[in-house]
Amino acid sequence: MTTIRSYSDELKFLERIDSHCWRIKKGFVPNMKVEGRFYVNGHLEKLMFDELKQACTYQNKGGFLPGVKQIGNVAALPGIVGCSIGLPDIHSGYGFAIGNMAAFDMDDPQAVVSPGGVGFDINCGVRLLRTNLQMKDVIPVKEQLAQAMFDHIPVGVGSKGIIPMGARDLEEALEMGMDWSLREGYAWAEDKEHCEEYGRMLQADPSKVSARAKKRGLPQLGTLGAGNHYAEIQVVDEIYDMHAAKKMGIDRLGQVCLMIHCGSRGLGHQTATDALVQMEKAMKRDKIEVNDRQLACARIHSKEGQDYLKSMAAAANYAWVNRSSMTFLCRQAFAKQFNTTPDDLDMHVIYDVSHNIAKVEEHISFIEYQLDVKYSSMVVLKRIANLELNNVMNILSGIVWRSAKSSTCWMENRRGYSFTEKDPLVPFLLITHSFLSTTRVYFL
Amino acid sequence: MFRRKFRALGYHKTDINLQDEQQWRNLIVWLEDQKIRMYKIEDRKRLRDTSTGNWSKAFSQYLDDLECTVDRSNRKTLCDWLLGVAVRTDYGENVEKYNTSQKVTSSNSDAVDDPFAQLDVNSADFKAGLLSICHLLKIPEHYDPITTLQAVSLLVKDRLSEEAQSAVMEEGEDFDLSNYEVGFETRDEVINNASCILRLLHIQELRDLQTKINEAIVCVQRITANPKTDQRLGKVGR
Repeated sequence: MTTIRSYSDELKFLERIDSHCWRIKKGFVPNMKVEGRFYVNGHLEKLMFDELKQACTYQNKGGFLPGVKQIGNVAALPGIVGCSIGLPDIHSGYGFAIGNMAAFDMDDPQAVVSPGGVGFDINCGVRLLRTNLQMKDVIPVKEQLAQAMFDHIPVGVGSKGIIPMGARDLEEALEMGMDWSLREGYAWAEDKEHCEEYGRMLQADPSKVSARAKKRGLPQLGTLGAGNHYAEIQVVDEIYDMHAAKKMGIDRLGQVCLMIHCGSRGLGHQTATDALVQMEKAMKRDKIEVNDRQLACARIHSKEGQDYLKSMAAAANYAWVNRSSMTFLCRQAFAKQFNTTPDDLDMHVIYDVSHNIAKVEEHISFIEYQLDVKYSSMVVLKRIANLELNNVMNILSGIVWRSAKSSTCWMENRRGYSFTEKDPLVPFLLITHSFLSTTRVYFL
Repeated sequence: MFRRKFRALGYHKTDINLQDEQQWRNLIVWLEDQKIRMYKIEDRKRLRDTSTGNWSKAFSQYLDDLECTVDRSNRKTLCDWLLGVAVRTDYGENVEKYNTSQKVTSSNSDAVDDPFAQLDVNSADFKAGLLSICHLLKIPEHYDPITTLQAVSLLVKDRLSEEAQSAVMEEGEDFDLSNYEVGFETRDEVINNASCILRLLHIQELRDLQTKINEAIVCVQRITANPKTDQRLGKVGR
């Protein structure tokens, strides 16, 4: 940050596109390769600009870089395509803002991959399970049920899981992801279909994960950890799209669901830390310049870049195995409490959305040539870009799912944003909430 | 790489390192000695002498003599081409052997009793018959008679067979195509709708496939699955 401008000068670089979208023009921070965009409603907009105003007043001394600046810094990374996007949960994070999403062209030799874009809790995500229980079935036994969940899923910093794992099991789990859970019988065959990447990243290479990371991850499988992670019992409160809700089997008010928010625990954190150390060296070697030291990165095709993508994929697999193990344990806890089987409770996975992940994607753009007046538009397919995604929003049958309930909850604490507030920008399919604060099982 | 070609030719290895000079030269000599036999035995001396500096020249001459047209600087391409030549030579010399073995396998199946094996799909009679069936069943004709026949077979199996007749037809729900995003735009409503329908049919096919895959996974799980928990391992953190 060399230039220090006044708040009103900063505002000249921000331009409203429509009621919910803002453009960040080039020059807002140095070296911007593309423009930035962010999507907010009136409420979030105010928070966003207040953050910037504060930073201008105190001239970035102490505290976080404001989210808008971080979007700009990401737009200055080599190889970025399209624009640097801030999704509605945008707020200041490590290097990348939380809710910041960017794509990099793998065919561009200068393009980089940055662990800051993925985050420290690799493949942190939320998973929703349905049940055929109603609120009235659960209320009388809520304390016992909460206890059964606590017994099955240890929580807190330094917790250890109840699923026996050997070093070899861990290696296999890192390589196979949810296929390991399936083989060992911790998951149902259908579970995979509802996960991104079918619960397994094929480029995972356990040998690229450090021994230290494995040592941290080994006893932690099937545990929630701390921070904003939770496994909570929720109730369907309101349904916005009956057709979609029916397809997912969550179509009754008062229906009990389970949501698990967790990631790759110590293993992912260590993997990211290891990669950052390697990348600082690679940046010096390849003379990559970034605006913020937290945006340490390496060229995608360099050894460091490739090693990171492989180890990140292994950590992502661990996170899926972890969520699958907790799914198994939740099913056990419910089955025990209601003296029946998870099958009879219809405890299917509805979705599993990863919000801290980098993926290789192929995108196709359509260019049409009008050759004749009638019936002759030809479609030319052209491969343009591969993507790195952070805070993935899943688009399911045209409905934008707000994936990061976690960050919303977090925001609830940090920024006074209420989760159940009806926000026209966030078209929730359904809004679920914990029905009583005592049954919010783990919110640590 | 080239595993199947090596195996087919009966080379003693099924995987060689093309960048290893000795392995590469030995392969070339073996191919010429055993399979290609371009030169007379006494003329192979220069090529066989793999340890001298003249080998590259001899090899280049050899490729000229074989009328090699592929990129000679790329060993992978070259190896593939040479193996191809060897396979062709081998086949050319034993056409009968290879062709009869194929007949044996096909006669093993029940093709002999199959009246359709003798069917000539391109005969005028067949085509006329097919056309009249198409008219009866109201199926549009495809330029390939076999495809048309497949469509007829599908329709008969799914709708007209005894099984399909006795099964209760599942009443689908009406679905408004305009509610479905196909993901691209062709500027022609008919084509848009058609691509929509094809996409939906494709999804249904994928669904059926996934269901079968899931059934297979469940079968395998009966053998492999053994989920364990041990409460003693658990430890609640801070």
